[in-house]
Amino acid sequence: MRDKRFFVGIGLLLLAIGGLAQTPKDVLIIGMSHEPIIDFAPARVYEFEGAFVLEQVYDQLVNFIGGEEAFTKIEPGLAQSWEVSEDGLTWTFHLRQDAKFHSGNPVTADAVVFSFRRSLERHEPPIWILEQFVPEKDTIQKVDDFTVAVTTNQPLGEMLMAAVLGYQGICSILDPAVVEAHATPDDPYAARWLAEHDAGSGPYILKEWRKRDRIVLEAFPDYWRGTPPIRQVIIKDIPDPTAQKLALERGDIDIAWNLLPEMIADLKGKPGIQIVETPSWYFHYAAMNLGYKPFSDVRVRQAVRYAIDYDAITEGLMAGAAVKCHTIVPVGMFGHLDLLYHQDVEKARELMRQAGYENGFEVELLTRTDPPYPDIAAQIKQDLKQINIEVKVTAMMYSQLLKLYRAQQHQMVLVRWGVDYADPSAQAAPFAHCRTAGPEAEIKQIAWRNMYCPSGVTDWVEQAAGERDSRKRELLYKAIQAVVLEEGPYVILHNPLIQIATRDVVKGLEVPPMWYYTELLSVSKE
Amino acid sequence: MAFVLFGVMTIVFFISHVVPADPVAAMLGGQAPPELIEEVRAKWNLDKPVYQQYLIYIWRLIHGDLGTAISTGQPVAEDLLLYFPATFELATMATVLSVLLGISLGVISAVKRGRLADHFSRVLALSGISMPVFWLGLLMLLLFYYLLGWLPGAGQLPYYMSRPPRVTGLILIDSLISGRFDAFTSALRHMVMPALVLSFYGVAAISRITRSSMLDVLQEEYINTARAKGLREMAVITKHALKNAMLPVSTIAGITYGRLLEGSVITETIFAWPGLGRYATNAFLSVDFPAVVGSTMLIALLYAVTNLIVDISYAYLNPKIRYA
Repeated sequence: MRDKRFFVGIGLLLLAIGGLAQTPKDVLIIGMSHEPIIDFAPARVYEFEGAFVLEQVYDQLVNFIGGEEAFTKIEPGLAQSWEVSEDGLTWTFHLRQDAKFHSGNPVTADAVVFSFRRSLERHEPPIWILEQFVPEKDTIQKVDDFTVAVTTNQPLGEMLMAAVLGYQGICSILDPAVVEAHATPDDPYAARWLAEHDAGSGPYILKEWRKRDRIVLEAFPDYWRGTPPIRQVIIKDIPDPTAQKLALERGDIDIAWNLLPEMIADLKGKPGIQIVETPSWYFHYAAMNLGYKPFSDVRVRQAVRYAIDYDAITEGLMAGAAVKCHTIVPVGMFGHLDLLYHQDVEKARELMRQAGYENGFEVELLTRTDPPYPDIAAQIKQDLKQINIEVKVTAMMYSQLLKLYRAQQHQMVLVRWGVDYADPSAQAAPFAHCRTAGPEAEIKQIAWRNMYCPSGVTDWVEQAAGERDSRKRELLYKAIQAVVLEEGPYVILHNPLIQIATRDVVKGLEVPPMWYYTELLSVSKE
Repeated sequence: MAFVLFGVMTIVFFISHVVPADPVAAMLGGQAPPELIEEVRAKWNLDKPVYQQYLIYIWRLIHGDLGTAISTGQPVAEDLLLYFPATFELATMATVLSVLLGISLGVISAVKRGRLADHFSRVLALSGISMPVFWLGLLMLLLFYYLLGWLPGAGQLPYYMSRPPRVTGLILIDSLISGRFDAFTSALRHMVMPALVLSFYGVAAISRITRSSMLDVLQEEYINTARAKGLREMAVITKHALKNAMLPVSTIAGITYGRLLEGSVITETIFAWPGLGRYATNAFLSVDFPAVVGSTMLIALLYAVTNLIVDISYAYLNPKIRYA
């Protein structure tokens, strides 16, 4: 007993010596893992961390702001208004005339045309997001100094247009004068210079980037939405979550970006700390390949969905740091259908019996080696055993798994999917559009990989992308989700929460479901 | 040495190409459309047969080009130059610590054999060899940074401090060159914990070897002679015994240094150290062939060099070897 008191005493003493650091009021220090960062060259950036930095230093024509409801309405960006032609193909954007680049040059129609054409010409991986609707350079035209027209290859819903043109990686607007000043004959678009500098008009200027060390952003005083309250943002590379947590608790950093759910649970309610949470737009899902005979029977796929203990996975394994979502359009996205499966083993057994599989079958489930995949796979194995399906779990490196998955060489997989841009078509096209499961298919995405080719639903997917009546569009997406949930090859589990811990002096941090759209412009410190 | 490097390169090249994983898949994730994947594969020559890729690689290597890393988009040589200095600095510091602490502990426990100091150093050695690095690193961070606040946390410099201009890439040297003494002392303080963590294993191994080697030497008759002719005990131990006991120690120290120069992914991750360990591990995980082959060749080269240094030090420590 006395010993215990002694140690508590020593502990308190040590705490007192330790003291608490505090960062300056106009400097925001963020701890974040820099591991995935490649560089900050617009048209190439495809990593979340890189896109997050572009979000601060560049503007796009349209904008999304706020937290959970961020992608439900479109805000003006460099374009203060826009309209679409009768045929739904040509979007005309009217630029605001008070926006300036960091160089002091005005943002003009020429800059917009230059930036889009630059992205299309560079043709780096994320270009497909724009190219699927705007494949030709000539379809982006200057009308006058502050008006631009973009013609798409099919009519688009307004939300879809905004989701694509608001995507930082491809559709950020660059200062042509600055780009040209740093261009070289073998690098005409100054990709090398832009890798670590910026030519943007955003609220922050990219001041310094030391690889695997820190990124320094400085406020742009002439920003058209007003000078940011924070003078300097330092994004410090702290790859280890525990080290991030300690630094936050010590007060050496203001925001810890990559804490694990159990650390967040531990920090909740601690003085001086607050937690910002939003359901993310990525999900864990299992998929069954219809090319594997038992799964070609829709009753077997339904039986699998009824057999799974969703509570054990989402509440138990994910420690509640996720919200259930069983449809392909995630919670909070336009058109989301709130329909959930519930475990019903009796019904699952009955479906297996009807399908002639009451004695079950064996199946190999491929999954990743990193948490939480092996745990979820073990739960699925246990659940499916109840309906006599013998699951053999094979965990492998993601790059190895993807090779098999892309070649339709799996029986069942457990992986994740993240939304590419803020519109249900980004989900419907990969998960529900498939005309043929053969090698001649046009889109070889998730539905194709699992040889799920519903012709009626595929028609709806095409129709919904171009539907301009937003009410009808929403209904179409709900119908697509309902059918895919009922007969599709997927067991979609949940959207994990994005959980970010900050010191309580940090105000105004709102994290949208795609966290790299977080705007630091609204953040201040008390 | 050139043959060794060439052999290592060839083996690693083929091993990394028969791994059934797709680097482009690792880079683009699960969502990119197939045409795009083909385009990227062609860009990196991954669509060609392995032997052709190998010939292309050798051709470039002859021209001093290690290729471009898929995971960073930068030339591998530039990446290695960027990340190796941090590891070199830390490994050197850790080896110096291992040698100093290890030899002192070993000598003390040999001389005070069976006494308290001997037991203490045995426990330390045992825990140094058996304690996992991530545990030790986190424990130290918790104690000296979080609870006591004596030492700074993760990173090479305080978060708000800008780095001195890069000349050598070694932060201590660069701080001195640019006259940034604030950066020098901060960087030194930041280095203490990771260097200690990395040195722990070396201290354990070196102190044990020093002890047993010293015990052997202390049995020798010339030690009795030295004592008999009236030399002070201190002189007997340092001048006569220690130098002769150093031969096995220098081997262990050399191996330790070689091992540390590879970089330690765990220590570098916990202490946010921008070193080779994290770079190489990341390259392995993303199946980034050029970076994997480049880092492996650098590591092989470092091993060869440290071995050479150990061999040379033998000759210094034992003149008999010089003429052998």
